Amino acid sequence: MSIMEYNGGSVIAMVGKNCVAVASDLRLGNQALTVATNFEKVFPITDRIYLGMSGLATDVTTLRETFRYRVNMYTIKEERDIEPEAFAHLVSSTLYERRFGPFFIEPVIAGLSKTSSGAFRPYIAGADLIGCLNFAKDFVVAGTASEKMFGVAEGLWEPDLEPEDLFETISQTLLNSVDRDAYSGWGAIVHVITPEQVITRTLKARMD
Amino acid sequence: MATDGGAYSYSLTVFSPSGKLVQIEHALAAVSQGTTSLGIKASNGIVIATEKKSSSILIDDSMIDKVSVICPNIGIVYSGMGPDFRVLVAKARKSAQAYWKMYGEYPPTKVLTQEIATVMQQATQSGGVRPYGVSLLVAGWDDNRGPSLYQVDPSGSYWAWKASAIGKNMINAKTFLEKRYNDDISLEDAIHTALLTLKEGFEGQMTEKTIEIGVVTVPSPAEIDAEKTAGPNVRPKPTFRKLSEEEVRDYLAL
Amino acid sequence: MDVSFALTGKGYVLVAADTTAARSIVKMKGDEDKIKSLGPHLLMAYSGEPGDTVNFAEYIERNIRLYQIRNLYPLRPPSAASWIRRSLADSLRSRSPYSVNLLLGGYDTSTYTPHLYWIDYLGTMATVPFAAHGYGSYFALSLLDRYHDPEAPLEEGLATLKRCIDEVSKRLVVAPGKYKVKVVDKDGIREVEL
Repeated sequence: MSIMEYNGGSVIAMVGKNCVAVASDLRLGNQALTVATNFEKVFPITDRIYLGMSGLATDVTTLRETFRYRVNMYTIKEERDIEPEAFAHLVSSTLYERRFGPFFIEPVIAGLSKTSSGAFRPYIAGADLIGCLNFAKDFVVAGTASEKMFGVAEGLWEPDLEPEDLFETISQTLLNSVDRDAYSGWGAIVHVITPEQVITRTLKARMD
Repeated sequence: MATDGGAYSYSLTVFSPSGKLVQIEHALAAVSQGTTSLGIKASNGIVIATEKKSSSILIDDSMIDKVSVICPNIGIVYSGMGPDFRVLVAKARKSAQAYWKMYGEYPPTKVLTQEIATVMQQATQSGGVRPYGVSLLVAGWDDNRGPSLYQVDPSGSYWAWKASAIGKNMINAKTFLEKRYNDDISLEDAIHTALLTLKEGFEGQMTEKTIEIGVVTVPSPAEIDAEKTAGPNVRPKPTFRKLSEEEVRDYLAL
Repeated sequence: MDVSFALTGKGYVLVAADTTAARSIVKMKGDEDKIKSLGPHLLMAYSGEPGDTVNFAEYIERNIRLYQIRNLYPLRPPSAASWIRRSLADSLRSRSPYSVNLLLGGYDTSTYTPHLYWIDYLGTMATVPFAAHGYGSYFALSLLDRYHDPEAPLEEGLATLKRCIDEVSKRLVVAPGKYKVKVVDKDGIREVEL
């Protein structure tokens, strides 16, 4: 039994044209027993950054609180919202602080980064449980269905997807992956971040 | 018993009946005996400059550094006590590196200034220490606020300036700057104004050996975006740098 | 071997826990109350390592009480749950962690809503319509999936709870004999007989 698979759950993020999407399933389990089917694993950090976490559920909650605290302090001190690049480093350093007694989560960061012309550039990143960042141009996955998501995303993803198409791609990737994973599923939540707004939709899945 | 401050001049943490902390005033007095430094914010950058004076011709003044680089985007200059400045530079550099480790980028000028100001304030409220005998001019560039120039005093208070001077001739220098300053001055003009201002109260010869200059330059939008997408293994291009002796000599010759 | 259940209904939360205090294979006591009142509208059923359970429950009870004394009003259920979860999460990575699982049922008197939280010894917290801890959970959760109604009146809720208890008595080898059942609603906390 791996501690990373104790509660189950999966998250994924994808890049689109001038937008990013991030999604998670909703299951919280105790090994094979499902305890709750409303456990979200993706959290808003700023208007343009979302953080997903898969792994040990207690650490998901604890780190959510830690990042809320640290980002609030950053926002007050710097009198501005944190940018995705700086936030990814903050996630990395926070996890590495516990290098020899880690939090058992894998984070996924999705956001839009401000360019000097005022436009936005999509940004996604993943990391392992001790904070080794993985910058990806297409998609990042984490959780008990990650192997399956790699496969499906590899087949479905294409560059420069518009928000609605990106939503369809990430939803199909996540849903079809978690359906083959006993530890993930029971519905999903998807966020598509565009410069104007964040579109959030809750999805029904196979409820078994 | 101190002759001027009365009974209150001993403990730096005790207010005098008139509401003053006498030790802080003494620290300011130490600053105003120091050599003059100044900073000017231009439309496309910032210049900070100072006079470098040796008490003996036998001193190798190439080893004296009054303008210090804190991190690639921030530099500071001081008036007052050299040893105190050295300690603050070390603390500021450490703070900048700690920020870099946390966020993967160097601190904005304001954040670093606040950090230094906090260190200086703590020296006015802790037991067994004295206030830092320096005033600082902090010049830097960042993504968010662009070029900014701050002054920090021994009390730990700080302000943003368009142009300011500290040290021995600060009053005259500031009057001079007030006359000379305008909002659309270029960096080149600002450097000349800085030298001209220093000349006002200068004792002896102004040479590349007796003047130190640091400049902040503003990167182009293309350079800023290139930096952001460059990835973690590329060193940031400095936006603050000290002028070499050759460069200072060229400016003095004009 | 502890078994505990909880479920929400229309304006109330039902919390039930067995009353057995056991050491190893020996039953020491048959009328132990394993549901604490943490305030006028907050119930906590605790189970887990003997010793840890009572000690941790009392620690929580006293601190929640302290909050009420200091602030003249009690913590609302979501805040109390967050604080208790954090206590367990911090304890997990300490030198001597508590092994205590909790069901936290409360009635929020300012929003007029019942709240139920499932919390385990790791500090995992879930907001749920019904919950169970111990071996009973393997039998009760599927029953609750079928019969639970968040809008059910108290009588119906009690009937559903009874189904769970009966199923556990029928199928679980080490089923406990007796349960204590408490309800929290707008009027506060009271014990009910099944």
